[in-house]
Amino acid sequence: MSILKKIWKFISSMRFAILLLAVLALACSVGSMVTQGQSFAWYAQRYSERTAALILALHLDDAFHSWWFLLISAFLCINLLLCNILRLPQLILQYKSETSPASVLSGKGDISSNGISDPEAVFRHLRMPAPTSCRTDDGRNAFFSVKNPVGIWGAWICHLGILLLIAGFTLGQTTQQQFTVYGVPGQTCPIGDTGLLLTFDAFDVALRPDDTVEQYTASFTVRSTEDGSSRSASASVNHPASLYGMKFYQNSVGWAETVTVTQDGQFLQQQILCTGETLPVENKPDLIIDFTAFYPDLVMEAGSMPRTATGSLNNPATLYTVYYQDQILGMNILMPEEELTIDEYTVTFSDPQMYSLIQIKRDVFTPLAFAGGLIIMLGLFCSFYLQTEKLWAVEVSPGCWTVSGCSRKGGVLFREKFLREVS
Amino acid sequence: MMLQLENTLFIITMLLYFASMILYFVFIVAKKDLIPKIAILLQLAGFVLHTAALICRGIGAGRLPLTNQYEFATSFAWGLCLVSLIFIFRFRFPVLGAFSAPIIFLIIGYASMQSKEVRELMPALRSNWLGFHVSTAIIAYGSFGVSFVLSVIFLLREKIQSGAFLDRHIPQREKLDLISYRSVSLGLLFLTFTIVTGAIWAEQAWGAYWSWDPKETWSLITWIVYAIYLHLRIRRGWQGRSAAIFAAIGFVCVMFTYIGVNTFLPGIHSYA
Ligand code: HEM
Repeated sequence: MSILKKIWKFISSMRFAILLLAVLALACSVGSMVTQGQSFAWYAQRYSERTAALILALHLDDAFHSWWFLLISAFLCINLLLCNILRLPQLILQYKSETSPASVLSGKGDISSNGISDPEAVFRHLRMPAPTSCRTDDGRNAFFSVKNPVGIWGAWICHLGILLLIAGFTLGQTTQQQFTVYGVPGQTCPIGDTGLLLTFDAFDVALRPDDTVEQYTASFTVRSTEDGSSRSASASVNHPASLYGMKFYQNSVGWAETVTVTQDGQFLQQQILCTGETLPVENKPDLIIDFTAFYPDLVMEAGSMPRTATGSLNNPATLYTVYYQDQILGMNILMPEEELTIDEYTVTFSDPQMYSLIQIKRDVFTPLAFAGGLIIMLGLFCSFYLQTEKLWAVEVSPGCWTVSGCSRKGGVLFREKFLREVS
Repeated sequence: MMLQLENTLFIITMLLYFASMILYFVFIVAKKDLIPKIAILLQLAGFVLHTAALICRGIGAGRLPLTNQYEFATSFAWGLCLVSLIFIFRFRFPVLGAFSAPIIFLIIGYASMQSKEVRELMPALRSNWLGFHVSTAIIAYGSFGVSFVLSVIFLLREKIQSGAFLDRHIPQREKLDLISYRSVSLGLLFLTFTIVTGAIWAEQAWGAYWSWDPKETWSLITWIVYAIYLHLRIRRGWQGRSAAIFAAIGFVCVMFTYIGVNTFLPGIHSYA
């Protein structure tokens, strides 16, 4: 055999598939052990500088998108595709032969029993479909029946599903558009570069009697800057909204406050900030107010970081940081009645409210991936639970029959069942 | 009220499982053929009460009892008991119970050490898909548990000299291997259901059906390991002993996905 032919044979072989699957499992476990998406400094602190350098060199920080992971997946797809294409003609032939008596009548099958007077009863007891009568090559009377011949397609269907799933997932990952917007009612944000604007109309937090959150619901209006059309919808956790070919998910929440700045007692500016956002002072842009964190129910214990006891506004407190020319000027906690004074400026934080973070996604290939998943399940079901069994009876002498059977995967279990029912 | 009843039922269930486990041990030592029949009856009674306990908890909590460590552990024990009873009756193989009973008892013991407090669900967990996702996981884990038990029996059978008692109660190797294959198939089918329903749920809750979270990744690894098992079995010479070893390794992955991931690796599944 030429070397090329050998390679071709190996690439389409099940041996290669097993190897690839093993390597893929190993790759996944490595990816799950190393925390993904961190910086060199982070890994260096956690492990050592040498390990950190190794992690980055081998792309272990983004294992599931690394070239080697894609390479393994690509080989698996090629292998699976070749395997399925090459097996298709064989399977069609096999299906034809499974459903025709010619292939078995002359053989003994996995098991057989002689001296049967009522062969049709055996077919009934073994819950086979009604047998068809036929003749052997040498002209004797015979019966034949086959159960679940589609079972032989199970693995093929499962492999097809895997291919569709991988295709849907990969196409989705490479073509999908994803955006996040967040805000409080009244605020408007652009949705990436789509030419759409999202305005938050309302944000409702449904609480249970014990103050735990039952549901977050954001209502919003999306407006197209291109044709001026607009549509409203609401999204709550587990119930995304669909607008303009995109899906809107109520993904997470946080706190926002109204920040007011006065200068020498005169109003200067006011803006709603979400935690993590900053506000440069209007007439002194080097001076920056950072809304660092918010604690609705502040607990301060000696020796530990401030934290919040509950999600309710029982003891609200604001953590701010002030920067001047990129240097930290100060950082502290403010209670509601307190003000922050920096030279002639006074800053107050008021009206705490929750903001909604909406995840927006357009992925036309999601249905393909899910179809792949469903086809895999169908294939597995066919492969495991539609087991092909064949039963045939040949009249050896008038009124005296030999009944034989075979099963693709039943093995000793089929033989035991056969013997039980025949006896 | 319901939760108190659940507690009582849970304790009786544990006692019944314990008694059935002891009886199975006695059977192996005393070799009396009547004992496994009683042991199965006890296991069956335990299973019925266990089901009742789960129903009480469901009514008491006003939702499916499948959302925290305690609930999942007790349901896992329930799933293993269900699948092992199905296999015991389907394949007329009572001794299977002798090997699954200690594992069931171990898992329900682990459950009893978890906090039984009923907590309200965070919004992301309030989804019908959660019910499908976790209940299919329970059957999958139960089936893999049974395949593990069968593999252990297979490997032990190789070591122990055949005798009339052994032959009467433990099937021949070919049959053991085939039953083990059946349990892996059931497990793999249900694991696929689990992964797909989990993906549908994640898609609705977070807008990403697959995000390589460690628990997701480990369920995929488990899925791949069992896929390798199936393919190896098709190759000549890989049925029997090697397959049994592989199925046992698969179960180690299952247990790592279940307990190890939450303990050693960070991720969004940390609540379950
Ligand atoms: C993630 C990957 C895969 C999964 C989940 C999978 C699943 C399966 C299943 C469930 C079966 C039926 C086994 C049985 O009935 O006992 C099977 C059989 C088979 N698989 Fe795969 N498979 C995968 C990858 C591959 C690949 C890449 C190949 C490439 C050559 C392959 C080749 C085969 C062959 C030749 C059979 C035998 C078919 C038969 O006997 O009907 N598989 N596979």
